[in-house]
Amino acid sequence: MDLFGSFALLLALACAVYAFIGGIAAILTRHPLLVKSTRQAGMATCCLIFVATFSLEYLFFSDNFSVAYVVSHSNRDLSTFYKIAALWSGQEGSLLFWSFLLAIYVFSVLLAYRNKNGELMPYVGVVLVGVQIFFLTLNNFVVSPFKALASPGANGALAYVARADGNGLTPLLQYPEMVIHPPNLYAGYTGFTIPFAFALGALLARYPGEKWIHLTRKWTMIAWMFQSLGILLGAHWAYAVLGWGGYWGWDPVENASLLPWLTGTAFLHSVMMQEKRGMMKVWNVWLVFCTFLLCILGTMLTRSGVVSSVHAFAQSSIGNWFVGFIAIVLLVCFGAYLWNRDYLNSENHLDSIVSRESSFLFNNLLLLVSCLAVLSGTLFPVFSEWITGDRISVGAPFFNKVNIPAGLLLLFLTGIGPLLAWRKTSVESLKRNFGWPLGTGLVAGVIAFVLGFRELFSLICLILCVFVAATIGLEFFRGARVIRARSGASLVASAIELTMRNTRRYGGYIVHLGMVFVFIGLSGAAFNHDVQKEMHFGDSLQIGPYTLILQTIDTKPEKNYTAQRMIVEVLKGNRPQMMLYPEKRQFATTEQTGTMVAIHSTLKEDLYVVFAGLSPDTQLPVIHAYLNPLVKWIWFGGVVVVFGTLVALLPNRRDVLVLAGANQPARQALPHGLTPSITLREGHD
Amino acid sequence: MTRSFRFAAVATLLMMATSPLLFIAAAQQLSDREKHIGGKFMCMCGCSQVLTQCNHLGCTTSTAMLKELRQAVDGGKSEDSVTQMFVQEFGTKVYAEPPKSGFSLVAWAMPTIYLILGTALVIFVISRWRKQPVSKVALAGGAPSIPPQILERARAQAARETEG
Repeated sequence: MDLFGSFALLLALACAVYAFIGGIAAILTRHPLLVKSTRQAGMATCCLIFVATFSLEYLFFSDNFSVAYVVSHSNRDLSTFYKIAALWSGQEGSLLFWSFLLAIYVFSVLLAYRNKNGELMPYVGVVLVGVQIFFLTLNNFVVSPFKALASPGANGALAYVARADGNGLTPLLQYPEMVIHPPNLYAGYTGFTIPFAFALGALLARYPGEKWIHLTRKWTMIAWMFQSLGILLGAHWAYAVLGWGGYWGWDPVENASLLPWLTGTAFLHSVMMQEKRGMMKVWNVWLVFCTFLLCILGTMLTRSGVVSSVHAFAQSSIGNWFVGFIAIVLLVCFGAYLWNRDYLNSENHLDSIVSRESSFLFNNLLLLVSCLAVLSGTLFPVFSEWITGDRISVGAPFFNKVNIPAGLLLLFLTGIGPLLAWRKTSVESLKRNFGWPLGTGLVAGVIAFVLGFRELFSLICLILCVFVAATIGLEFFRGARVIRARSGASLVASAIELTMRNTRRYGGYIVHLGMVFVFIGLSGAAFNHDVQKEMHFGDSLQIGPYTLILQTIDTKPEKNYTAQRMIVEVLKGNRPQMMLYPEKRQFATTEQTGTMVAIHSTLKEDLYVVFAGLSPDTQLPVIHAYLNPLVKWIWFGGVVVVFGTLVALLPNRRDVLVLAGANQPARQALPHGLTPSITLREGHD
Repeated sequence: MTRSFRFAAVATLLMMATSPLLFIAAAQQLSDREKHIGGKFMCMCGCSQVLTQCNHLGCTTSTAMLKELRQAVDGGKSEDSVTQMFVQEFGTKVYAEPPKSGFSLVAWAMPTIYLILGTALVIFVISRWRKQPVSKVALAGGAPSIPPQILERARAQAARETEG
């Protein structure tokens, strides 16, 4: 099966090369048969990548320990669940997985548009297979996952061997989220290839404007959703597994995933300027180019060992390949832009500074500044070593200081941006839209201050969260009220109807609301608190309102590891609340230990208990307990963000209510202050 | 909207919004000196985590560094002395954030420079968009313009060739 997989990969590369060269010839000759042939070659490439990927999975499931990658990342006792995850647990397999996910996207695009956009698709196809060729080259010749295990024989020549069992999967990866976090993150990384290919293809084809944006809007949103989900799942994994009590440490690999998310977010906003007003065309094209390049850069940072990270794969020379690829992509992008930039000129001008257009500009400015700050901070240790010879670390305190103000400003814009009108916003409109939300936010701030909420940034964050939530609530309320007045439905039903009529706008609001929840969760970090204590059996530890009593420690043998489990009784106000079971796991094959944190999570706070091991001095068990306020809001916010994105992806429902309304015997008059224009005003879409 | 309804809506919103505060007021505690000073250094095991937060599996480096820190603090050393001690032992890579001196200032300056340049760019773009009529906006960057009929033809071609 390893030979089968290798052969499939090699054939995939051959097909991709044919699709690339044939695609260029098809663009030049416009011969229909050539166009069809190259499209089919592109689809065949994808199918062959699927075959190779499933071959590798088969090798894991069949415990084929004659393949080096399987030996390094699996063993017989590894559960089926984690044998799936073993595919992307190492350098070679994860790059094949990259190709696999990219192939799903490429196949879907080629299939979806097989009879559409006949002139544009060859350009798009060439760009897509160009990217595939790069990854297939790595899969075939640089980091092949199908290398057979070999060792020197008696005569010194290499001989193929098979091991009885493998080394097993890294304990850190044996956690449910590691089965879903990387696929989501990679689906985000690879997904941005589609808007990139359309943008570059449209530029090469000299399409002047909005077409590529219309075509790729949903693809971009899907990629963005996966990237968001991947980042959040990664944060949750770090929180639940690494046992340091936090979820985001500004690690270079974490930063690498954030960079394209920031530019992708900027793009999702600025793209509306192009759709509505024919502005920012150059900006949008470059935002997509940068997003794709940052995806590649992020992949390189994770794999090359350029920056040190606990998440990174082993150091290797693969970074040079990525640098070369980034350079080629940059050259092509610059070339295409210089050649065809005349087709990207703006068609409108700005009527007022107080307008939606301006808010998008500042939104993009902040996202880009944040992105560049994270990028330069991540790479600063490398540059400082090159220039001065000393490696200067840049850790979480730096990133927090730089990004917290930018994040708060963005939160502010999240509130005001969607409520500003295109072209020009009047003072009256500002008063009408912002009076109540602003007042509500300020009152909330005062209450918070009185309650002892004295951390400056957290207080500002909370005021802004209330402000943004209020603006969103007001938008839903006003729109729903109009529908309720016409249809007589309940307010909730009217709000749902409103959302379904303009999914993009109201889905966007839901995403914003999700971000508000995420920010509420982040604001709690200023109040984190932890206690560490050596414990005899029966000893207690006090943290916040909780009393933790160590009852005993037992040993729990499992198939792939042996767990030492603390049994901790938790009291709150002298009343028994629950039992927690933080674990320390010993993996036999890798001789490594792993942690399983016990978390009691509520909207108020997380009680986070870690079995920190035995004290080297006294040999007593050590409990490290954390009280982390509001963390659950982050995960809840993430769910809302994903839900909002899914809503925004839905097609708009036809305006049937208006037609139905014509048959109503007596239509209710609109409430005072509401005009029909509220439904016509362009909102988030 | 009646006055009582407005009041009820605002009160509900406020209650929802401030409920997290009620939860966390009791959780606030001051950190001790070790945590404060330890928060300024990185763990040197290569995990890229701040010393006081490193708890990754099998890390003996942070344990040793924290022990050293504890001894220094117990011995009455000042924050500067502890910093010097760690820098001498591990080099400048021990800083959790770049010191605000020498070449490290570049790291601090960069975000500010991005912000200033970006803001200047936005102001420039806005003023350009506001001052110039649409036809001139189309000549962005001083590039040779495409005659409107050619642009329109290209647009029509794009519309014809795509169906998105």
